[in-house]
Amino acid sequence: MAELEVRDLTVEFDSGGYKVRPLDRLCLDAEDGELVVVLGPSGCGKTTLLSCLSGLLSPTAGSIMFRGTDVTGLTGAALGRYRRSTVGVVFQAFNLIASLTARENVIAPLRLAKVPRHQAAARADELLAEVGLADRAGHRPGKMSGGQQQRVAIARALVHDPPLVVADEPTAHLDHIQVEGVLMLIRKLAAPGRLVLVSTHDDRITHIADRVIELVPHFTGADRDPEELLLDRGQILFAQGDRGDLVYVVEEGKVEVYRTRADGTEEFLALIAPGNYLGELGPLLNLPRSASARARTACRLTSYPLRAFRQHFPVDRSASALGTVARERAGTP
Amino acid sequence: MLTITLQDLRFRARQFVIAVVGAGLVFAMTLLLAGMTAGFGVEIDQTVAGLGAQSWVLPSGSVGRIAALSPMPASAVSTVRHTAGVTAADPLIVVPQAAQIASRPAQSVNLVGYRPGGLGGPGETVTGHGVAGNGQAVVDARMKLAVGQNFVVSGHRFTVVGVVSDRTLLGGVPNAYITVTDAQKVVFGGRPLIGAVLTTGVPTTVPPGYGVYSNTQIEKASLAQLASAVSSINNSRFFMWVIAAIIVAALVYVTALERTRDFAVLKAVGSSTALLFAGLAAQAVAVALAAAVLAAVLANFMTGLFAQPVDIPGSAFVVLPLSALIVGLLASLAALRRAASVDPSTAFAGA
Repeated sequence: MAELEVRDLTVEFDSGGYKVRPLDRLCLDAEDGELVVVLGPSGCGKTTLLSCLSGLLSPTAGSIMFRGTDVTGLTGAALGRYRRSTVGVVFQAFNLIASLTARENVIAPLRLAKVPRHQAAARADELLAEVGLADRAGHRPGKMSGGQQQRVAIARALVHDPPLVVADEPTAHLDHIQVEGVLMLIRKLAAPGRLVLVSTHDDRITHIADRVIELVPHFTGADRDPEELLLDRGQILFAQGDRGDLVYVVEEGKVEVYRTRADGTEEFLALIAPGNYLGELGPLLNLPRSASARARTACRLTSYPLRAFRQHFPVDRSASALGTVARERAGTP
Repeated sequence: MLTITLQDLRFRARQFVIAVVGAGLVFAMTLLLAGMTAGFGVEIDQTVAGLGAQSWVLPSGSVGRIAALSPMPASAVSTVRHTAGVTAADPLIVVPQAAQIASRPAQSVNLVGYRPGGLGGPGETVTGHGVAGNGQAVVDARMKLAVGQNFVVSGHRFTVVGVVSDRTLLGGVPNAYITVTDAQKVVFGGRPLIGAVLTTGVPTTVPPGYGVYSNTQIEKASLAQLASAVSSINNSRFFMWVIAAIIVAALVYVTALERTRDFAVLKAVGSSTALLFAGLAAQAVAVALAAAVLAAVLANFMTGLFAQPVDIPGSAFVVLPLSALIVGLLASLAALRRAASVDPSTAFAGA
């Protein structure tokens, strides 16, 4: 059994009346002492995954087992203990309390855990020295660089010596010099007795990782030829939230585009008739499909990888009035 | 959490100073209004006590308001003087009038007619001496007249021969003590009428058609005359408390809004909602108490700015911080809801 086991993790929530599913049946394993990098573009669910791992967000479905404990089943005091002692969190925007000094920021979680003041102060000084900030302990965040603030945030995450540390885009607000120092520190944290998960959209961090988990699939066949596709009436072409790399041109029949609202009802968006296309914005912007497509009648379509679509249908056709209308009404399927 | 609370107070010092000054001024106004309410009673008490009487004989059915006495024959004085239980009896006339003083606008004044050397006088003068005869007057210092200066009431000229302090009625209107003869000329066209018979000793019987009133009854009835003013002031005090609460609440709520991310982080690192609330409540109480202290200081300086007597009762200085405590706690409720609703997972949101 792996130190960390994530199985079929699904998070779904309402956004503007529609269902959004940033995580859909995610599975991953990680072992003690590893530095795991969770890689993916913005909006792919990295932060959602870290929120679930740190016990701050309850998933819609699936499980997280850490050291044999079902994290998703924790509630009340047990969840509070998990948040406090088992997991340390390094936030993307540092999230230091502006009114407190570096030392006080590190002391805060210790005092909240009722650690005596002098012990908490000693532990804070020890950790600040570890992250190389002993001389900045009395400074407020506003008087420190981004890299220094991130190191204070790391020190704060380590106050209870947690076996799991999660860091959300820890280099997002840093220049390259600061990045180097923070990455070295994070690499050092991943040692026997501690598992470190780092989310990032910057694939340069993957070079120091023991394991890389990509949340967005790589599609193969970007250069393959267009293929004909036959759909029966009512058959789903693609579903809202799916990722895909194909654009579809309707040759015969009609395809309806619709969104599923949070209450499960459907909102009709467009009816795509022969000669028009659908589904180009998702692949183009590397986003999940924002709507579903279903055959209104028996259909014949041609599926194109994005590059082939552009080659076969230059701007004049793809930007034709009808095509534009269909695309705009369909959102970004 | 206390450290975080105190450090946040320091960090937002300007905001807190503004709130303390704002709430402090409002609290000061509540103290002053309390002083005004008390002042009505105090001035009546001082004037009545200064008259030196033990009881009042008035026409039966009189309400007993000192500044609204019903006319009665002056002959009643002699009758009452010979009543069992009475050691001395003297006439009294009290009538609100308008006085003209040189080039000043007409000034309200309470003419008090009494028998020089008898009951109903002003008591010890601050400067000058008591009234010795007609045409002379002893006035309260609020008339801003010195000994030797004159004023005119209904065409009758009076020369100030003495000045007294704390002799006012009806919310700071100064008393002017003159002979009862002069008062009869001004008020009754010289007819032998008076407003009351003051006595030392309590008459055991009185002539038919008359009743005996104690000083306490007179004071109570006179204060009732100002009931609507007192009620208005008390309503204003209530609104002042509400305004102070809103000032403190606005500050704490804005602070809570600004600290949403902090709350999310604190929750994420183990703080309970109760602890966050304790911190916010402590801030609100600190602001309210600091405002109360400022108010106590300000109110002492501001009492002299008001025309009417302002006598802030000592109890108000005890009640104020306690009330401020409650105001602070109530004011933090809105912020509590804000803090309680913060989702710790929002700490993950980017900058």
